[in-house]
Amino acid sequence: MTEPKKTIEVKVERTIPAPAVEVFDAWLNPKTPGNPWSMAEKLLLTPEVDGFFYWLIQDTAHYGRFTEVRRPSRVQHTWMSRNTSGEESTVTVTFLEKGEETLMTLVHSGLPDTDGGRGHGKGWNFLLDNFTKQLSQ
Amino acid sequence: MDQLSDVLTAISHPTRRAIIGQLAAGPARFTDIAKPFDTALNSVTKHLKVLERAGLIRRKKQGREVLISFQAKPLRQVAGWVHEYERFWNERLDQFEQHFMNQKERREKEKKK
Repeated sequence: MTEPKKTIEVKVERTIPAPAVEVFDAWLNPKTPGNPWSMAEKLLLTPEVDGFFYWLIQDTAHYGRFTEVRRPSRVQHTWMSRNTSGEESTVTVTFLEKGEETLMTLVHSGLPDTDGGRGHGKGWNFLLDNFTKQLSQ
Repeated sequence: MDQLSDVLTAISHPTRRAIIGQLAAGPARFTDIAKPFDTALNSVTKHLKVLERAGLIRRKKQGREVLISFQAKPLRQVAGWVHEYERFWNERLDQFEQHFMNQKERREKEKKK
């Protein structure tokens, strides 16, 4: 039996000054600056359940399939590339309308916890750990 | 240097981390900040300049006194550096948010016309 691989999760939140339906549509529209699709060198995108995406950027191909598309509150798709060591990770984006604004939460889970993924590695974590300790003293 | 480098330089010194730790409890005057350190006032001034350049502190005049306060926002850049994807999504969402801010600004300007 192989041991389960250690994975990590990245969570990013922003409050966007627009209604949820507008934010949701903009997130899936490759013409909107800021979403990943807008940066593509090559793109195939079918944002519906079991729809597929192919996203090429800087010679790195990314693939995924949409597992949930619930306008205007939630979209989920898988995400794989050489950066995920070919493993299927999951991107879930939720849109929660709060008055005239929308709280947008993006969770990228199932990312392999490799040095490559961590990029700048243990040095930064060591620094941050030390910093947190200093602050809590 | 870019801001991330400035922030990393700022938090690389134990005295500056201690100053941030102190200011995290609330704004303080220069003399209060310098008090716990067994070091020349000139040296504390230099540390504060490094923290200011990184955007980690702000000086505000209050009557005849100057209050120095901690600004946590630049630290988000450091946290965002830990994982490639964290940095990637932070950059994406910053740009996405900016797009909506610009749109809102344009609409408000048009309303005023």
